[in-house]
Amino acid sequence: MTIKSDNLSGAVRHRARWRPNGAQIITGMATGFLVLLAFLAVFADWVSPYDPLRQNLMEALQGPSAAHWLGTDDLGRDVLSRLIHGCRIAAIAAAEATTIAVLLGVPIGLFIGYRGGMWDWVVMRIVEAVVSIPGIMVAIVIIAILGAGLHRAMIALGILFSTSFLRLARGVVLAEREEVYVRSARVVGASDNRILIRHIFPNIAPPLIVQVTLTVGAVLLAEAGLSFIGLGVQPPQASWGTMLNTAAAFMDFNWFLSVPPGVAIILTVLSVNLLGDVLRDSIGRGIAVAVTPDKPAQRFAPEPVAAEPVSLARRADEILRVENLQVMVPARSGGEVPVITDLSLSIARGETLGLVGESGSGKTLTGLAILGLLATGVRTTHGSIMLNGRDLRELTRHQMEQVRGNEAAMVFQDPTTSLNPAFTVGSQISEVLRMKQSLTRKQAWNRTVELIDRVGIPRPEERARAYPHELSGGMAQRVAIARALSCNPSLLIADEPTTALDVTVQQEILDLFRDLQAEFGMAILFVTHDLAVAADICDRIAVMYAGEMVEMADVDPLFAEPRHPYTSGLLSAMPHASDRMPPLPTIRGNVPRPGDWPVGCRFSDRCDYKIAACDARIPLVGTERQVRCIRACEFGMEAAS
Amino acid sequence: MLKLIVQRLLALLPLLFIVSVLTFSFTSLLPSDPVDLIIGDTGTEEQYEIVRERLGLNEPIHLRYLQWLGRAVQGDLGSSFFNSVSVMGAVMQRLPVTLSLTAMSALIAIVIGVAAGVAAALRPRSWVDRFATIGATFGQAVPNFWFGLILVAIFAVNLRWFPATGFTPLTESPWEWLRSVILPSIALGTSSSAAIARQVRSAMVGVLQQDYIRAARAQGLSTRRIIFRHALTNALVPVVAVLSFQITVLLGGALIVEQVFAINGLGTLAIAAVRQQDIPLLQGLVLVMVGLVVLVQLATDIIYGLLNPKARPS
Repeated sequence: MTIKSDNLSGAVRHRARWRPNGAQIITGMATGFLVLLAFLAVFADWVSPYDPLRQNLMEALQGPSAAHWLGTDDLGRDVLSRLIHGCRIAAIAAAEATTIAVLLGVPIGLFIGYRGGMWDWVVMRIVEAVVSIPGIMVAIVIIAILGAGLHRAMIALGILFSTSFLRLARGVVLAEREEVYVRSARVVGASDNRILIRHIFPNIAPPLIVQVTLTVGAVLLAEAGLSFIGLGVQPPQASWGTMLNTAAAFMDFNWFLSVPPGVAIILTVLSVNLLGDVLRDSIGRGIAVAVTPDKPAQRFAPEPVAAEPVSLARRADEILRVENLQVMVPARSGGEVPVITDLSLSIARGETLGLVGESGSGKTLTGLAILGLLATGVRTTHGSIMLNGRDLRELTRHQMEQVRGNEAAMVFQDPTTSLNPAFTVGSQISEVLRMKQSLTRKQAWNRTVELIDRVGIPRPEERARAYPHELSGGMAQRVAIARALSCNPSLLIADEPTTALDVTVQQEILDLFRDLQAEFGMAILFVTHDLAVAADICDRIAVMYAGEMVEMADVDPLFAEPRHPYTSGLLSAMPHASDRMPPLPTIRGNVPRPGDWPVGCRFSDRCDYKIAACDARIPLVGTERQVRCIRACEFGMEAAS
Repeated sequence: MLKLIVQRLLALLPLLFIVSVLTFSFTSLLPSDPVDLIIGDTGTEEQYEIVRERLGLNEPIHLRYLQWLGRAVQGDLGSSFFNSVSVMGAVMQRLPVTLSLTAMSALIAIVIGVAAGVAAALRPRSWVDRFATIGATFGQAVPNFWFGLILVAIFAVNLRWFPATGFTPLTESPWEWLRSVILPSIALGTSSSAAIARQVRSAMVGVLQQDYIRAARAQGLSTRRIIFRHALTNALVPVVAVLSFQITVLLGGALIVEQVFAINGLGTLAIAAVRQQDIPLLQGLVLVMVGLVVLVQLATDIIYGLLNPKARPS
């Protein structure tokens, strides 16, 4: 997201300054080259130093010299003069073939697109057949009928390339035919032809122009190819293709002959294609939408916050203990911006810690940071992540690979996208078992079927052979859970595992988590925005806001007596079955974006209890029960009363 | 699997039929009179009628088509007007040559294209990435036969590493065969490799952002395994979908590149057929080529089905 808008604002700034960038320089050069070609084509007779057909066998096959800048060919003709006259042939060839292609393809395409039915069917089958034959062979067959020579060969190419114009015109008509305005025009009583011309043609023009540039490039290459094999332009007429034909025959004597016509072809086609790209981009973009770049926010400098002392109580059976975690993302204006600061939490064996908060509070990022799965550019800068007594931040990439799957695993939000569509679900579980636990194929498969059975999927043997798209969302999530638990990890991170599921399925999945935890005894970090879900499954809840923890408590006290205004706001925004009638209160405003955080209490802008002291940095206080609010005592009492 | 093959084959048969109708009717439009070609200027009126009768030219065109099709299905494409050689024999004699070029250039295009595409996707804006982008832009503009000429100038004429011309059949000497096809195949396959690299790159970049890649990483699978098994399998799906088009382009390109290296393949045969107005030979050439295209299409359809479970008939 950040990166994308970064590009946009960069482009806008560039345009405002009007300094030509690389693309504009290349476009200018391409245009300049084509203008030069057009000039040479028109004034070839005046510009070229010699008559392109004048032979001088005494001077045959010479290299470049002062008299003949590009040397002479096998008959002593001046290569430069022939090259210049070749421009004219190239221009004629491109113009002829492209015109024929447009005049033939567009009307037929318009007609069959508009008529539909049998006409459309028959013509499209013929087009498909023609397209399935290599283009050059189609041209060869047509030349067999018409005979060789520049104009005949160009008719052949025109017929060949008309298929793309035909399909283009037909496609546009099909799309536009159903447009409301065409139908309304018919109701008004406009004739068919009028509708075609008035309404459909303007819509064809932009893609047509792009297709023309593509065709011109293709025609130039095809003309050169046909002339090269002797079926296009006939000697002694000078075309780049025939010049290459000559060059091929005298490769052993003067290989330089092949260079000038080749370079001419390449530069011409390259220029035409580049201009085509520019046209496509500018037409494709349509009317430029004014992009107002987000003003560089940062009301307060996003200085890294000094680590605060961890007051979190230490427990004997801790599986995971995160202290002072700080995560930075690349900022749009260069540098880095913190997205998570001073996050400390711990989860004991068999315990479920809920991580709740609005979107953008950094809860998913916390889960990813623990597993070292942050996107490129995003990194943890401070703190420690102790899993089973080892700091994951100090592990090498390879050691981290060992930890993932074996010691810690993750279940993601959308089960249908977190399973690989190309493989059966069973193979994705057994793969993990084979790679991580070194089981044989057979052992892994048997264990896979057991696991699939264990997560409550009927007919496990059969379902193991199903592909993800053949399973329902709930079923796929069960599979994803089975995969995550396949190596019996001590920590399971569940990132909104029920959010993408149907409401009726959600409860089943929550029950499954509870059962599995009772059986395997893993610690669970349960990330969710849904307090009802958190209340259902979690032992303790940590509330996150704008990248930091604002409150942490056991479920019952937290619900009964929230101490942070944000928690209280979240609770009152929760729908209850009993009181549907009054509109749900919402917390006004939005979560401030990273880099836009107030220096003091980050919630202060949205808080009804804000006082002057809230503008200073607020510490997290408490050990068992933690809260980050200087008015927590007053607020807690007020809310309780 | 068999179901997939049969299904795809049935879908491709109508195409062959339409091509056969087109080929037959268009080649019947050839300006020259085949009878004149056979008996020459000196023939009498009587001879003319006899030959005409023998060629079946007095019968209506649809009957002639059905007879031709009936024989074609049995592998008999008639005989050349010019020298009475069986068309099937002539085509089959040249086919291995063109097939060698097409197959080798396709191999080069796919191997280099996929490798460069993956490398570019893993390191956007690296030199591999830039090279693939620039290569694809140039690949569209450089005539492959000209590239062939340059390769001959460098590697055959100057360095003498490879023969400049000619073709050695695979059955005769695999090593000499490789030496004879390597330069034309590079000339032919390079631009396709750049095109494929660009497709692989964009597909791979998209796939690497998918949830299932992150999920595979969360399972602790090795990076190598994730890239080559989990990501590449999915990234190749859209690439395979357009691969048969690329190979059709290569087949057409082979006809011209053959001329650079003086290789007697289908291209030489086609040029001769045009010059001599040899109708049966042209018909046979088109039909065989479309047959090849259909086979390639079938193969890519099957690979597509293997890579993409959603495309399989259930």
